[in-house]
Amino acid sequence: MALSKEELKEAMIQKAEKAPKPQLYVKDFYKCDPDAKPRMIKNIANELVREGKLMFWSSGSTTMYAVPSRIKDEEGDEGIN
Amino acid sequence: MPKHDTPLLDQLESGPWPSFVTDMKRMAEKKPEVYDILGQLELSFKDRITHWKHGGIVGVFGYGGGIVGRYSDVPQQFPGVEHFHTVRLNQPASKYYSTENLRAICDLWDKYGSGMTNLHGSTGDLVLLGTRTENLEPLFWDLTHDLGQDLGGSGSNLRTPSCCLGQSRCEWACYDTQEVCYALTMHYQDEIHRPAFPYKFKFKFSGCPNDCVAAIARSDFALIGTWKDDIRIDQAAVKEYMAGNYPANGGSHSGRDWGAFDIRKEVLDLCPTGCMWMEGDELKIDNSECTRCMHCINVMPRALRPGTEMGATVCIGAKAPILDGAQFGTMVIPFVKVDKENDFQDVIDIIENVWDWWMEVGKNRERVGETMQRVGLPTFLEVMGIEPTPQHVKEPRSNPYVFWKEEEVEGGFERDIKEFRKRNAM
Repeated sequence: MALSKEELKEAMIQKAEKAPKPQLYVKDFYKCDPDAKPRMIKNIANELVREGKLMFWSSGSTTMYAVPSRIKDEEGDEGIN
Repeated sequence: MPKHDTPLLDQLESGPWPSFVTDMKRMAEKKPEVYDILGQLELSFKDRITHWKHGGIVGVFGYGGGIVGRYSDVPQQFPGVEHFHTVRLNQPASKYYSTENLRAICDLWDKYGSGMTNLHGSTGDLVLLGTRTENLEPLFWDLTHDLGQDLGGSGSNLRTPSCCLGQSRCEWACYDTQEVCYALTMHYQDEIHRPAFPYKFKFKFSGCPNDCVAAIARSDFALIGTWKDDIRIDQAAVKEYMAGNYPANGGSHSGRDWGAFDIRKEVLDLCPTGCMWMEGDELKIDNSECTRCMHCINVMPRALRPGTEMGATVCIGAKAPILDGAQFGTMVIPFVKVDKENDFQDVIDIIENVWDWWMEVGKNRERVGETMQRVGLPTFLEVMGIEPTPQHVKEPRSNPYVFWKEEEVEGGFERDIKEFRKRNAM
């Protein structure tokens, strides 16, 4: 049974908050709703970024998603510097 | 910012070739922080380890690509490169820009960055090297509002599409590469600016099999112009080449005396499928055997031209990683119409079919070519809904059975050999 958009957003935030590492690949969110198409998950992840609930984090070669408070705890406001 | 002693780097200036060290020293007179790049590089040479660390949360608001964060791990020693982020700009199609535009970009980069550039990055972008986090948003504002340009792709985004000169200058282009490149860049803005995939994905568009952007080697999705019908032959021009009245290869190897033009040695015997021959003084081609290698057309451009039924071949899965070794794209679709009338929908359908599958099946940091290799070409073709053709098989004449499944073969793979031998003696 597919989740509603709001339920899926909530599940994705929960996932990002509880994952062992603060940075997640977009694929890590797929399990939040196995019935949802990967493209839909990607679009919702980007919507959460626009809402400020997730943020992009770059490893230099790969772009990942993270909860802002978790990543800032780890890196400080200025990033990995 | 003080100069640093750089004896190891200075050696790089002693060769006969132009040196980036000289360029950087010249730039440092205008931008003193460049002395710190030289200083840190000297230290890296000495320590035999990089002193850059990259990544982090830099970027511009709403974009998940286009900026690659870079920091020094020895900022106290080299404060000028404490932040040294890279900015990728989407280049114009076929890299047609005016000097006015280049000057404007350089002025912008003098204002907000180190002044150091790398034109072009391997994806084709205009790469601006070295700025601080607080300069990114103002730079982006000026770039988009004053110059009307945008950032390119990075990370697991669709990378900035690139194309050859196409029909703007080349008579061999089988489709309008610039038009497709621009149309798909606009169509896939979200994929270029925000992460969408398990890993990077690159489009490259070449107008003919000469493949001037090396799409077959450097892009996950290569659209390479080709034709379906026969090579057009002007027999009168063939005779002119044979008489030595037209220079072979458009005169491009005329710097020394190669002797008289020999059509057998220089064209017929070099055809990879041996599908050309002379009948009297007429050149003949068995077009059903032609692999579109372009050699004969390149040698005799006034006599031979691509056919008139034009389109493109789709090759998928090239990559050129440093560690694993390079892999060419696999020819997946021999011919597709590249039609502006329907907004290139045939090409878009193929791209999205690949993406839908790869986004689901691809592992993190796995290029589509690696996923294809992992599942095997027969499986890939099946999920793409593509009928296998002989061209998909590396050696079709020696291994024609690779695509057959047991249920597709009458009687399956198990059979009564004795019964078979009654009808087919050894």
